[in-house]
Amino acid sequence: MRLNRDKIIVFLLDNLIWVLLTIAVVTFALLSDRFLTSKNLVNILVHSSVLGIMVIGQSFCQLSGNFDLSAESILGLAAILGAFVIAPAGAPFFGSGLQLNPILTVLIMFVLGILVGWINGFLVTRMKMNNFIVTLAMLIIIRGLTLVFSEGKTITGIPQGFKALGHESLGPLPISVIVLLIAFAVAFVITRYTRFGRDLYAIGGNRDAALASGIDPNRRIRQVYLISGLMAAFAAWMELGRLGVGATRIGEGMIFEIQAAAVIGGISLFGGRGNMIGALGGVLLLSTFNSGLNLMMVSGFWIDMIRGIIILLAMLIDAQKTRYKAPVTSQAAVVASESQGL
Amino acid sequence: MTEQTAPTEYIVEIKGISKNFPGVRALDQVDFNLLPGELRGLVGKNGAGKSTLMNVLTGIYPSDAGEIAIAGKPFSLMTTTISRQMGIACVHQHSQLIPPLSIAENVFCGNLPVNRIGFVDWNRIYRETDERLSRLGLAIDSRRKVEGLSVAERQIIEIAKALFADARVIILDEATAPLPKSEVEMLFNFVRRQREKGVAFIYISHYLEEIFDLCDTVTVMKDGKNLGDYKVANLTQADLIRLISGAEVERFKHTSNARDAVVMEIQDLTRPGSYSNLSLTFREGEIVGLTGLEGCGKDALARGLFGMEPLGSGRVSIKGNSYHASDTRQAFNQGVAYLPRDRHGYGIVGLRPIRENVTLPILADLVNPTQLLDTRKEINLVTKLTQKLNVKATSIEQPVLNLSGGNQQKVVFAKLTSTNPKLLLLDEPTQGVDVQAKVEIMKIIDQLSQEGAAVVVISEEIRELLDICDRIVVMFKGKLIAEFQTNSPDTTVERILHAVEGTVQAL
Repeated sequence: MRLNRDKIIVFLLDNLIWVLLTIAVVTFALLSDRFLTSKNLVNILVHSSVLGIMVIGQSFCQLSGNFDLSAESILGLAAILGAFVIAPAGAPFFGSGLQLNPILTVLIMFVLGILVGWINGFLVTRMKMNNFIVTLAMLIIIRGLTLVFSEGKTITGIPQGFKALGHESLGPLPISVIVLLIAFAVAFVITRYTRFGRDLYAIGGNRDAALASGIDPNRRIRQVYLISGLMAAFAAWMELGRLGVGATRIGEGMIFEIQAAAVIGGISLFGGRGNMIGALGGVLLLSTFNSGLNLMMVSGFWIDMIRGIIILLAMLIDAQKTRYKAPVTSQAAVVASESQGL
Repeated sequence: MTEQTAPTEYIVEIKGISKNFPGVRALDQVDFNLLPGELRGLVGKNGAGKSTLMNVLTGIYPSDAGEIAIAGKPFSLMTTTISRQMGIACVHQHSQLIPPLSIAENVFCGNLPVNRIGFVDWNRIYRETDERLSRLGLAIDSRRKVEGLSVAERQIIEIAKALFADARVIILDEATAPLPKSEVEMLFNFVRRQREKGVAFIYISHYLEEIFDLCDTVTVMKDGKNLGDYKVANLTQADLIRLISGAEVERFKHTSNARDAVVMEIQDLTRPGSYSNLSLTFREGEIVGLTGLEGCGKDALARGLFGMEPLGSGRVSIKGNSYHASDTRQAFNQGVAYLPRDRHGYGIVGLRPIRENVTLPILADLVNPTQLLDTRKEINLVTKLTQKLNVKATSIEQPVLNLSGGNQQKVVFAKLTSTNPKLLLLDEPTQGVDVQAKVEIMKIIDQLSQEGAAVVVISEEIRELLDICDRIVVMFKGKLIAEFQTNSPDTTVERILHAVEGTVQAL
């Protein structure tokens, strides 16, 4: 009886995201008749796309038991750098005047993302520094660098072709949404059907056991930070297209939303648990909340507070999962410590 | 031989204590009595119930049945608070003191006295600690930081701390394990001085010589039972060894599958601080036991061969080719697999299913040309291996954490055998598994040797080594000091244990 109840709880916790998403959609549909319009639903998906790309990078990190808090700042710096090299000089554009071709611009942004990811991975694995602190420091450094670089100006004059990724549609669906779905499909396949993905789960689940199974955890962690940096640069390209201008504050504060989406979607903060389908659910849920609260004209101050509560709830659920899966675990641990301690 | 004394005098009187853990009867109707000022040894194999008994006495584990009386006062349910109040204290192998703080701060830890305005009264702390230490005959400055003390000094301070809290019974749990020989005597002298003041000590140790050196009496535990309390003066070390090892309930007897072909040859292998001048040969189908005390170099050798630690200088070859592994991947690729002693720490990824655990080292062989995993091939392989090793689980998708210790260990074996190893290094393969699973694991080891792998079993369980191995190699302080053929009539547990202690007996 008790076992059944626990099983149901564990099942609900594992699939909680879809339950929550359904509740959220139904609630907002009842509260606002503008919620279930096709225009609004597309808006939710567009908001999901940049967030989702970021969540993919973060999920890879978290599966391996690491964080990349610097991801949002990479997005910010890559966006302003991309706008700078592609836009014309002088007022009102404030670009470099280089007017580089879009492909070269994207490449420069990618190189930036990979470079920061490489530094993160280097410091975490080779210098054996704590990943949380390393990426937090990197977040602050790159935010500062972005301010220095942009001098607070907003860069305009970005060519249409470059903006297509975040701006244009193919039929009824925006390109960014199609790209998002493809990206999640690829991420799903990578995590489930490749060596790389399996290694991440093993490293996040028990790094020492992964090591003893012939995996090089540090090499995988360096790769994870490269991917996270690259995804942030890609999201920057998308965000530039969506906004049409390069602004200093792009991505600011987004890291909380990214982590909340990943964790609500079941990607454990402690590593080794979660899947990309759940993570996509987390992205959709947060975007739904954003849209719903906006439609209901909730004041911006309240929205921040509600976001905070959502993050707390996400962490609470993650902690509870560990607790509900604990009974079997702790018993095994007792027997193990018993036999070793005697 | 059991001693009889008037019951009222006992400081500790344990009657009929039983304790069950899931699947294990850790204590079975144990009686244990202790007189004030007595120095009692407590010996037994790993898993015999020594630590469990002490944990029940100190209230860490509640007992399932039985009664404990301290100084004549009976308690049906012992708690850590009561046991502390009644003067029971425990000093562990690993110091519980806080290294960056001074001796005095450690003594007053959690109970720092304050002066009238609420600040910590440092003068009083140092003055009182100095006074108390000198009353115990210790001339040591209480302002010294614990991190600057030797290991023996730390343990003496821990005992002193317990005595300041009016301890009447002090448990020393493997207290000398981290100590150099010279410091052991220093600790023992201190213990002897305190017993003259009526403090009783319970000394848990695997070092039998020290039991004879320090204790008046010794209690032998086996399979959760108290086999008896003996006067040390009436025993020889050989008697005690016989009592501890006893006769196994169920035994697996291995017959040799050894062939002539050499799998690994080690010549003059030296790693400063771990081992020196090792020369060993492992043959196809051979099972070699490697034993010795903690820190003798046997674990370091295994981890070195598996690429988890530097191997050192010397010549090592596998099937005639020079062997070198700077990481675990290289070790697997050259046919060496290692079963870690700490199953939860290094063996399994508990959250993940059996399937993913088993195939971790061989994912490279399971990908198709597009670099995606061939899950059908994976499922077939894991199903085959888990059936062969008789892993009991609801499905191969069950998280390994939810399996019993024996089945978890079988999953680790399945993982290792998936790599088709030529040489298997097994570090305490039967640790933390029940008696039945032990036999099953020994059968697995036997089967692997039949299939031609060379197997090295690293263990301190001599009797098990005798049952499973073709020969047993003993290491002492980084050197090979003895080798025993298990089928020779001259090979006895006693002789091996003497070699383990560093004394090789001539026949």
